[in-house]
Amino acid sequence: MKKLVSAVAIACIVVLCFSTSAMSQRQKTIKVGINAPMTGDIPKVGEGSKYAAEMWLEDVTAAGGIEVGGVKYPVELIVEDNESKAESAVTANTKMITQDDVLIIIGPQSSKQAVPAGDVANNYETPMISPWSTNPATTADRPFVFRGCFLDPFQGPVLANFITEEFGFTKAAVLYDVASDYPKGLAEFFKAAWEEKHGEGSVVAYESFTTKDTDFSSQLTKIIRSGAEVLFTPQYYNEVALIVNQAKDLGWDKPIVGSDSWGSAETVELCGEACYGSFFSTHYAAAGAQGATKEFIDRYNEKYGYVPDDVAALTWDSLGLAQAAIEGAGELTGDIKKDRRAVRDALAKVENFEGITGNMTFTEEGDPQKCAVIVKISDTGAYEFYKSICP
Amino acid sequence: MIKRFLQTFSVVPMAGWLLGAFVAVLIEIYFGNLISYYLYLPKIPVLLGTLVALRDPALIPNVLAYDLAVYFIPVLAVSLLSAPLTNALAARMQKMPLWAATLIHIVAFYAILHLWAGISDYRVLVVKLTMISIILTVSLNIINGYQGEFSCSHPGFMALGAYTSSVLTLVLFSNDKVFGEALLPAALGPWCFPVILIIGGAVAAIGSLAVAIPSFRTRGDYLAIISLAFMFIIKSAIENMEIIGGPRGLSSQPNYASLPMVFIWMALCIWIIHNFTTSIYGKALNAVRDNEAAANSMTVNTRRTKMIAFMFGAFWAGVAGGLFAHVLRYVNPGTFGIQKLAEVLAMVYFGGLNSIYGSIVGAVSISVLGEALRPLELWKWIIIPLILILVMIFRPHGLISFTEIDMKRVLRPRNTAEGER
Repeated sequence: MKKLVSAVAIACIVVLCFSTSAMSQRQKTIKVGINAPMTGDIPKVGEGSKYAAEMWLEDVTAAGGIEVGGVKYPVELIVEDNESKAESAVTANTKMITQDDVLIIIGPQSSKQAVPAGDVANNYETPMISPWSTNPATTADRPFVFRGCFLDPFQGPVLANFITEEFGFTKAAVLYDVASDYPKGLAEFFKAAWEEKHGEGSVVAYESFTTKDTDFSSQLTKIIRSGAEVLFTPQYYNEVALIVNQAKDLGWDKPIVGSDSWGSAETVELCGEACYGSFFSTHYAAAGAQGATKEFIDRYNEKYGYVPDDVAALTWDSLGLAQAAIEGAGELTGDIKKDRRAVRDALAKVENFEGITGNMTFTEEGDPQKCAVIVKISDTGAYEFYKSICP
Repeated sequence: MIKRFLQTFSVVPMAGWLLGAFVAVLIEIYFGNLISYYLYLPKIPVLLGTLVALRDPALIPNVLAYDLAVYFIPVLAVSLLSAPLTNALAARMQKMPLWAATLIHIVAFYAILHLWAGISDYRVLVVKLTMISIILTVSLNIINGYQGEFSCSHPGFMALGAYTSSVLTLVLFSNDKVFGEALLPAALGPWCFPVILIIGGAVAAIGSLAVAIPSFRTRGDYLAIISLAFMFIIKSAIENMEIIGGPRGLSSQPNYASLPMVFIWMALCIWIIHNFTTSIYGKALNAVRDNEAAANSMTVNTRRTKMIAFMFGAFWAGVAGGLFAHVLRYVNPGTFGIQKLAEVLAMVYFGGLNSIYGSIVGAVSISVLGEALRPLELWKWIIIPLILILVMIFRPHGLISFTEIDMKRVLRPRNTAEGER
């Protein structure tokens, strides 16, 4: 027993004396927190965020760190898994803020985690950028919380205007998931915008279903009978495939329009030819991208083997925003509270940031003013840039 | 060797361990920063350093050294050295009424916990969520353990309590966009919060009648199916109620669920449920579980007994839900789904059926493991279920099952022989 104890003790001391990685902890670094759903319902979203963050870190490390006030600081990423749960997102944020002393947090992606996590970040006065959350409550009355994407109250009217101008239709149908926050909100905004344009009752069918439903024939039959000229369905990729295919089978041959939730690579894979020729609004278009966007896509594709979806692109932009804000903070005092405030102020002042998903300037609420992109699914199944609509 | 080690420390009473823990916490508060600085740790490690060690394995010796210096050595040394003193103390407390001695120990325990958690806000949050899981697990144990049924509606009851209390605090004490101006002055809020929690629990208990009335006419799997359906009904109902936020949920509840508040509720819950299970109702409940016909013939009103126990369990789930909503300050219906159910069931079956003690162990170990293994990401979801499987193989009733808390035994002085007490 005694021998064992002394052996362990000596081993500990020896390792302590020579542990170089422990020594390097003393160096002053900028820590950036990533709060992403690595496990849970939407691991693909977490993976996209993590990969984008790793690519960003590579760039920053290659440049020798982030330069603030003439001094270059190395950057460290703290990736925390929020398990796609609200309470886990809150504990992850609390941990990163109080334990890891992160300067800024990127994430969480979905609104159900971003809303409570944003509350934590705001209470501790730590800047946070949620790349993907579209719920207005995430940033409302929270000076320290920002987001990287446009909001549903903007996207709904954009689509209503696009359909009106492009096709000249006056009668629309909507099919959405009543139990999921994002499709429901968007369906409502679309309906309001459409009815404002074409008068009361111009949304001739407003049908709903519940998450995990797989048979939509009764709703679709109603929609077809209603005489609608276009179908709007703001669903996620797995449901889009079912809805579009079932609609085609039931004899629907008019256009189908979707929202940014269609923007996953899986949509076309699952949906097949039925989806060709459909339109959706999104943050960026992978096919036909140019400049920095194309560079990002190619690099990502080469490194991880697939075309990045909008979450990865938005995370990339949010990290870019964070970097711009840190660089614009003047100097890092070492007092983390002061530095966080300085970064927040710099972030609010960012103007015309050139991101790969469009140029951004933050409003008072911390929401960016940016353009939406309309994408057409081409005859080969690629996402083609069709049109850009700005506020 | 382990046996000798245990024997050395068998003379330490509960009071001694508390004293040791107290000294360790004091060391951490006053010297924690210094020690962690010299051990090249970035900060005082929160959960015994597991988070740091798993992220950067090179730091494992440093973390071990820290744990030894701050926790193990002081706790063991102080508790052993002070054993004569604390044993005398325990002997004196033994002469007091049991409730007084227990209360003194609980207050001391809370003081230590408060100091320990106060070092980091992250600890506070983890401790709060763990204590809420304890309430949930103990209350589910009434139904799944003592009553011997299989109920799946606990997240539903929790949702009822969470939403009821959230709506009440938002309507009464905060200026909310949905519910308008506060009806009562905000200063009253923290004082009325316990009442609001009780109302939340009561709503959950009334809701549980919807499961209890149809399903207790029969025995067996029906309850599992009906209660599962109930959980989904509650979730969909809330999703479709625009007035309470629908699928978007409710946010910015006032910050009433402080650490002492959650602790008091947990202590109350354990105490009341312990009394319930050892009361005549508890015995009747066990009789019904073992043989309903026999219990009936022995004049036990089986239907009534089952209903009361079920509502009682639901009440505490509602209280836990209310606390949960005010700790997170956000609720959405998606939280109270299958995932939550799996979590609570895992805690109950891991800890042990028919035992409050076991439920506490289950809730604490699963919640703390979930936090401590955070850096492992996906591997965490392989390790925790693996532990569960192993427990189910080697201890099919859970780690500590069919054991009651005996405060007298726990608090007794240890220097005298067993028989003298």
